[in-house]
Amino acid sequence: MMSARITRFIAVGVFAAALSSTANAQAPQTGAGVPDITGSWERARDASIPAQTQPPLKPQYLKEQQAKTQAARDASAKGTPLADRATMCLPEGMPAMMGATFPIEILQSKGQVTIIEEAFTQVRRILLDQPQKAVDDVEPGFYGRSVGHWEGGTLVVDTVGVRENVVFQNAPHSADMRIKERISLGANGILRDEVTIEDPATLEKPWTFTFGYRRVPNYSLLEYICEDNREYADEKGQQKIRVDTPGK
Amino acid sequence: MIFEKLAMRRGLVVAAIVLVTAITAEAHHSFAMYDHSRTLTLKGTVTKFQWTNPHAYLEIDVKDAKGAVKHYTLEGTSINMMQRIGWRSNMIKFGDSIKVVMSPAISGDPVGLLLEVTLANGETKQLGVPAVETFKRTPEQEQKP
Repeated sequence: MMSARITRFIAVGVFAAALSSTANAQAPQTGAGVPDITGSWERARDASIPAQTQPPLKPQYLKEQQAKTQAARDASAKGTPLADRATMCLPEGMPAMMGATFPIEILQSKGQVTIIEEAFTQVRRILLDQPQKAVDDVEPGFYGRSVGHWEGGTLVVDTVGVRENVVFQNAPHSADMRIKERISLGANGILRDEVTIEDPATLEKPWTFTFGYRRVPNYSLLEYICEDNREYADEKGQQKIRVDTPGK
Repeated sequence: MIFEKLAMRRGLVVAAIVLVTAITAEAHHSFAMYDHSRTLTLKGTVTKFQWTNPHAYLEIDVKDAKGAVKHYTLEGTSINMMQRIGWRSNMIKFGDSIKVVMSPAISGDPVGLLLEVTLANGETKQLGVPAVETFKRTPEQEQKP
């Protein structure tokens, strides 16, 4: 009788210990003032978010960016849009994915904050409390290597290793580009991502802009696979649609 | 009265959400190859409803007054966008008789951008095309193929 009760007591204790150690292993980093930002968010154009800024490019790069932007505008105005990376179904990469064309999901887990953009199922991992590597030690990719740490309620993120052909607003950048972010939750419920691009090779000074997001309650991201892209670039570089012959 | 107000407010909220999504989605796949100055309304039979990303496609056969059949390929929006505004993949089936409002391709190809579909059950659904207000609608009786 007694031993059965003790056994049960021990069993419950072991179970509780197992539960709590699982919980510890999965618990997100929560220190003083670290906000709960886990969940689904959509881009918000809130009064507290400044308007998008133009890149302070050096003259030769500014010329390149303006020419590209104008060429795309002119082609679209003529009804013959130029094929671009979206035509090829390529994901946007950093920092464009933070523009959240479709909703994003943020996950806070132990040692990592993960951000998923629904469009193209883009994923970036922000490794917490780890040193950043030298740019030369990071293989260039679409999202680069992101490390971050909490400074009070602000997630401070540093990203290097974004491929030179992954661009935002047609602004060219070098392989040495650094993206610094300060992600914080405002009292108005708006999440802010203040982005600063540092690239002395192409920019006159750092380029800062802010994305704002609001929660989308009860929304789970949908899958997005670019399964059959019927848009293609023709021999003139214009965007076309593949027309299937009926019955084939 | 209260219900009307609530319904109106909900309508506005939905409109605001659609607008925000529309502005951001514009940065993606361009719809500039379609004629923004006119629309065509077509009644036809579905040969295929392709439920894919980056965009859905609807293939229809349209019979003219003499009985000749013309095939049209109609581009939709992202199926993610469509799901968020209430679309399901099983809403259109092979052989369905449907009506569409589309913006024709400037190239003159039998291709169009789907703006609105009236399903076989009579329900009319929009596609959530970004900046849809920039596509001028042509009254049916004034349309030229």
